[in-house]
Amino acid sequence: MAVALTMAQMKVAVLRHAFHGRRAQTAGTGAALGALFAAGTIYLAFVDPDLLAAGYAVWLLGWMLGPVFMGGGDETLRPEYFSLLGLPPRRLAAGLLVAAFVGVAPLVSLTALLGLLVVGVRLGVANAVVAVPAMALQLAVFVLLSKVSVAVIGLALRSRLGAIASGVLNGAILAALGQIWVFFVAFGQTGVPAAVWYLPSGWGLLAVQGDWWALAALAVLVVLLLGAWAALLGRRAGATRTSARGRRPMTAATVNGAIVAKELRTWSRDLVRNHQLTFALSYGVCFAASPLILGWDGMLPYAGPIFVVMAAAMASNVYGTDGTALWLTLMTPGVSDVRGRQLAWLSAQAPVAIVLTVVFTAITGGPWPLMLALLSALLGGAAGLVPLISVFALVPGTDPHRRAGNPLRTSEDDGGLTGLAYLMLVLVIVTGVPAAFVAVRYGWAGVAVGVLTGVLCYWGFGLLAERRLCSHGPELLDVMRTGRKPETTVKFRLDQLSKTQKSIVWWCFGFGAIPLVPQGIIATVFVANDMLRHSWFLATYMPPGLRYPVAAAFILLGLAMYGTGLWFVRPRPSGEGAAA
Amino acid sequence: MTPALEISGLTKRFGDNLAVDHIDLGVPQGSFFGLVGQNGAGKTTTLSMAVGLLRPDGGSARIFGTDVWSAPERAKAMVGVLPDGLAMPERLTGREVLTYLGLLRGLDKDVVRQRAEELLAVLELDGAEKTLVIEYSTGMRKKIGLATALLHAPRLLVLDEPFEAVDPVSAATIKTILRGFVAGGGSIVLSSHVMALVEQLCDHVAVIDKGRVAAAGTLDEVRGARSLEDTFVELVGDQDTGVKELSWLSH
Repeated sequence: MAVALTMAQMKVAVLRHAFHGRRAQTAGTGAALGALFAAGTIYLAFVDPDLLAAGYAVWLLGWMLGPVFMGGGDETLRPEYFSLLGLPPRRLAAGLLVAAFVGVAPLVSLTALLGLLVVGVRLGVANAVVAVPAMALQLAVFVLLSKVSVAVIGLALRSRLGAIASGVLNGAILAALGQIWVFFVAFGQTGVPAAVWYLPSGWGLLAVQGDWWALAALAVLVVLLLGAWAALLGRRAGATRTSARGRRPMTAATVNGAIVAKELRTWSRDLVRNHQLTFALSYGVCFAASPLILGWDGMLPYAGPIFVVMAAAMASNVYGTDGTALWLTLMTPGVSDVRGRQLAWLSAQAPVAIVLTVVFTAITGGPWPLMLALLSALLGGAAGLVPLISVFALVPGTDPHRRAGNPLRTSEDDGGLTGLAYLMLVLVIVTGVPAAFVAVRYGWAGVAVGVLTGVLCYWGFGLLAERRLCSHGPELLDVMRTGRKPETTVKFRLDQLSKTQKSIVWWCFGFGAIPLVPQGIIATVFVANDMLRHSWFLATYMPPGLRYPVAAAFILLGLAMYGTGLWFVRPRPSGEGAAA
Repeated sequence: MTPALEISGLTKRFGDNLAVDHIDLGVPQGSFFGLVGQNGAGKTTTLSMAVGLLRPDGGSARIFGTDVWSAPERAKAMVGVLPDGLAMPERLTGREVLTYLGLLRGLDKDVVRQRAEELLAVLELDGAEKTLVIEYSTGMRKKIGLATALLHAPRLLVLDEPFEAVDPVSAATIKTILRGFVAGGGSIVLSSHVMALVEQLCDHVAVIDKGRVAAAGTLDEVRGARSLEDTFVELVGDQDTGVKELSWLSH
């Protein structure tokens, strides 16, 4: 137990250091979102136990699949740290398990598991008493299943076959979840499927409802999973095999050719990228094909576009995953690294996307204009956004040669990675909207629009990314080297102000909205609609000739307050930074 | 004659820590210049700023008279850099890294192939044709780094800890290459905390301590009649001369 407690203390210490500045904000946002989901789950306990069981099934899947997309899950304490201590694997696993309970995600999940207590209390004293160990065991099952699935995928990612297989599987599972309605309709299911009760996520609920054996089953499962994890931890320490395959010689003769050759080799040799690509492919195909179960093929042609969007999200941190190798780009100014990467991304993804779209659209017999418009718009949009987002919102990655035993863990800031992936999903979809709109309304003209927006995105976003890389290259390298983003400059400027200036700024920013919005803009609307003598809107109490002038004066006052605040914190050249 | 590298007033602050405090250094053409200092003295920060990898808060760096920050394209073409601990294109083999970089540097394809061949052979990396850089040992990483620094035949080499983790045989090879480079008119700046090595190789030396230049000049000017190590310890060591021992280690 001493080992476990020490590890838990270590984790607390690390978390206290890590949760500062931006990381703290990410963690705070995550915790708030999680609390919202937890509250929703507890609410289900009051509504219907069936729904609660389904809710816990979703939590379980989140624990198992989440780490695959969020950079390998929580690895604050890496097993490698303890490899020299000679701990028996089971004690190591038990210690790491206890430490794994420390953190935001377990706390949020425990809150969600309060639903068990709610159900128990409503059924009787004995049920309420059982709920307490059930909560603990259920949480242990969540955490352990997460650890075991990450470890299994980690092992799979040591071979190309494993990387591809796990990518296909994960993509299929996630697509099935997204298209769950198809299965409901197919099985004529109107309520919650009974299966959710028999997943390990439902056992705690079964126990609380009086099936006492389920509590024992949970305990046995915890022991089994702990054993499995201990065994997997032992395998993780082994170094990856050095590859001995023949290498095809690099035949590029131009600068762009060299960058493309380098990128394509990285895509094909990095098993994590293999996994991501097959994941995106499997997701796109499964998502679009699943309605075939119902005999409806209308979604099939979208496999290509969905694949493009997903593949772009997977590449959203393309500069971050290469880490400090950026120094080579900095040492060769005048070479367009961004264009090379765009070309490489396109040449790796576009053939797949084109084949998917053409074949599936041919099978369903259309709609050709919409699909071709979407395909060209999304390909161009994604190829433009991938370098742009990864340069502007860089999440510092761990250098490839310094990564530990978990290949999914490409950065310490997994919250940032997840956010970036979602941002990319949304933005890439947005680049497809104009073409899709025109194609739906006017048919083939949409393809022209798609090609046009695609080319514009590719060219324009690429140009912006290139400029940013030129102007901020050393800063980006510094972020990657230290793993820290620089503090926001506004805060820095606020620090430089005197006390009086600071309070003026706070007053201006804090209360500028009052004259501007309610007393200014909203009051104007009221006056315009003849809604007079309205609560506290001063202008509505004025004699007719003064109503608009008073509201206008408030708007001016509000703008002046914001202007004053901004003027105090405006960027100004100082002695430092002159060299920049 | 224009110095090969001229650093004037370089300054860098990380938070509250003034890592480099107005450093001035001149590296004459044809010299073998050693930069010595304790861990954390500011050697890597200074060299990173000098070659354009880290933006200074103040000051400037010129390579053969060309400002690194205002004319980076011209300045960076004249320098070969071996940074300490930075990543490479990790999923390439050594030969592929050199091909990629050579093309990036604007060299002709055939020239690149020929130079890569020679560099890999001289640095004894040609036995690892199928090995990706990510699978290299620390010493091999240093050697491929040195190869990338030499590839475009620069006139100045800036090497950060080039001999760390390199085995004695390879170290001897590298020393021979570097001496030949200087004899051929090239200039080298290298950082190290191994005094014997600097004494053996360099003709100029600068001692960096707490972000400032504690002493600089030719090797003989700096060390006088003593060894470089004694001079160094006197310059940067604590005034407290009592050697600390770990009492619990002796049985």
